[in-house]
Amino acid sequence: MSFEPKIVGILCNWCSYTGADLAGTSRTKYAPNIRVLRVMCSARVDPTFIFKALSEGADGVLICGCHPGDCHYVEGNYKAMRRFPLLKKMLADLGVEDQRVRLEWVSASEGQRFADVVNEMTEQVRKLGPSKIKPDLLADRRNRPAAAAAEVAHA
Amino acid sequence: MSDLKIGVYICNCGTNIAKTVDCEAVIKAMQTLPGVAVAKSYKYMCSNPGQEMIAADIKTLGLNRVVVAACSPRMHEPTFRKALDSAGLNPYFLEMANIREQNSWVHEDGAACTHKAIDLTRGAVKRVAFHEALEKRSVPMSPSVLVLGGGVAGMTAALEIGDANQTVYLVEREDHLGGNVARIDLTAPHLDSARDLLLDRITRVTTHPKIKVLLKSELVEMSGYIGNFKTKIKTAGKELELELEVGALVVCTGYQEFDAKKIRNFGYGSLPDVITSFELETMIRAGKIVTKSGKTPRYVSLIHCVGSRSEEHHPYCSRVCCMTAIKYAHEVKSMIPDAYVSDLYIDMHAFGKGCEDFYKRGSELRTMFLMYKKNQPPVVRVADPKEKFGMLIALSEQLSGEDVEIPADLIVLMVGMEPRADSASVAHIVNISRDKDGWFIESHPKLDPVATTTDGIFIAGACQAPKDIPDSVAQARAASARIMAKIAQGKIWVDAVYAEVDPEYCSGCRMCNELCPYSAIEFDAAEKRSHVISAVCKACGACVAGCPSSAIKGRHFTDKQIFAQIEGVMA
Repeated sequence: MSFEPKIVGILCNWCSYTGADLAGTSRTKYAPNIRVLRVMCSARVDPTFIFKALSEGADGVLICGCHPGDCHYVEGNYKAMRRFPLLKKMLADLGVEDQRVRLEWVSASEGQRFADVVNEMTEQVRKLGPSKIKPDLLADRRNRPAAAAAEVAHA
Repeated sequence: MSDLKIGVYICNCGTNIAKTVDCEAVIKAMQTLPGVAVAKSYKYMCSNPGQEMIAADIKTLGLNRVVVAACSPRMHEPTFRKALDSAGLNPYFLEMANIREQNSWVHEDGAACTHKAIDLTRGAVKRVAFHEALEKRSVPMSPSVLVLGGGVAGMTAALEIGDANQTVYLVEREDHLGGNVARIDLTAPHLDSARDLLLDRITRVTTHPKIKVLLKSELVEMSGYIGNFKTKIKTAGKELELELEVGALVVCTGYQEFDAKKIRNFGYGSLPDVITSFELETMIRAGKIVTKSGKTPRYVSLIHCVGSRSEEHHPYCSRVCCMTAIKYAHEVKSMIPDAYVSDLYIDMHAFGKGCEDFYKRGSELRTMFLMYKKNQPPVVRVADPKEKFGMLIALSEQLSGEDVEIPADLIVLMVGMEPRADSASVAHIVNISRDKDGWFIESHPKLDPVATTTDGIFIAGACQAPKDIPDSVAQARAASARIMAKIAQGKIWVDAVYAEVDPEYCSGCRMCNELCPYSAIEFDAAEKRSHVISAVCKACGACVAGCPSSAIKGRHFTDKQIFAQIEGVMA
């Protein structure tokens, strides 16, 4: 059987989650590999959420927020945008390929765009194959589960 | 955690979910999870029997957490929270899994859908274990209302609220009231005078003791939240900005007409006798329909869908132009009885009350109806000077299947509606969203058509989508009723979700003070700790993620809850 990646999506409530709902009400079909979590704003996305998802075995993490200038909380997406390069640098140091973790802007009216982003990312991650980070981290967790979990939580 | 008793309810949503998701398989998977006391499915969880089932289980089984796997929480979270509340369980002990909008409606493979439904519901079960009882806060509701835009919708909203004896500020950009309706002569399909319709309203609005009209004024800033908005109004020619505190806003900023110059085929802007529908209205109001050279036109053509229903310009139908064109056929025939009127359309949309009759009467005036193809607009050219008419219109006529050319002395372009050029900045100021075409988005297209995603901000009239006068009036009245209901309660219950600083861990670095877009975090210099003013916090969570000491907790979106949900969806 071919490899089916599992992707964790973290979507802001006002734009991207609503956009994903719109894909639903419009019956726009897309790859079933994503599992979405809702946060109020992309600025709530703590880097530890991404580490947590990867350590739990996610092959990719997609963060979506409102387009720049459109944030429900004025400027939360800019905060997410500024944090993201730092996160990407840490991920690169950990050996996580660039395409596994993405930050995208999806507005409340962009159901089709959400579907396109999910399809494109699913395809990319499928090509990359299973995340290489999980055996290492999981092994680490097996050896000293509590300590590793705490480390991830407070990284 | 040993005393967890979670009830899991899987909604079939008729067949909307059950058609692709094997709900029995989801139940079986949930029954194996620790803490789950009961898992069942039902045809419609949101129905009264569905809600009563949850309430009864809470009482008889002693449930202390509830998971509903159904539609989007944006749809029915308030419904199920109420169900918990009715059984005496804190409403925040609910978590929903979105297995309809984000699952059964977007995937076709039943096995993959069921797998995803299990993951999402498991995520909700794991998350809900860490939920905490939260108490809602109430804040006073200011009884004043700001209405943005003085067209038909804005004036109607202002009168409705003013007549209920509440203070209304009606802010209008132009130096007069009436909006786009003030530019037209008669209304379709009843051929009533627009002027009469407006004058009565304008008189009542300007003399109303509870309505303050601010002309040549704009809303430049808004802060606060439902019940307690702080707004700043700038009036042209005045130095000082007016600061108004209001409980709610109705946005009725209307539309602008499509710029016909964008379509080259019609020669608008270069051919003097190609005019827009609004330019014809000006002529009709002046009492004379004439060509640029002052002659009475013998051949008058009306071209529909200018800028509307087009791949290149606006994909949507502007709704009012078909009936307006029929109205012009009536008006032209009554002012120039021997004129030949041709009507070039794509499809005739006569959906409103009385409109089909009006169309029929239009046909009886011997108007020549010619059907052209979508995305193949007719082409206008200047006729030979020897001819008795000024222009020729070439089109591929769809009913006869022939390419035809018809004479014209005056061509009227039925320009469609589009969002106003400033709609993006208005949306930004009042914190609402726009759809792909630029119209303001309602909270729910069917069930909540005048509310927006921002509590206390309502929309009415053509700023939401193209619409006619009756629909604009209905929306304005609906928005007013929603606001009056809130004013009548006197206070607003706001979400119990906000950020909290744990003083034990706060190092007093003040990083969060800068991060908060609402200045909701204060620094206590004596204690050397920051703390959140809960009534001002809007729960975005920027400070929670940004705190270097992890000292800030985002209530209902805690790290623990989100980590548990990640574990759940990945298990």
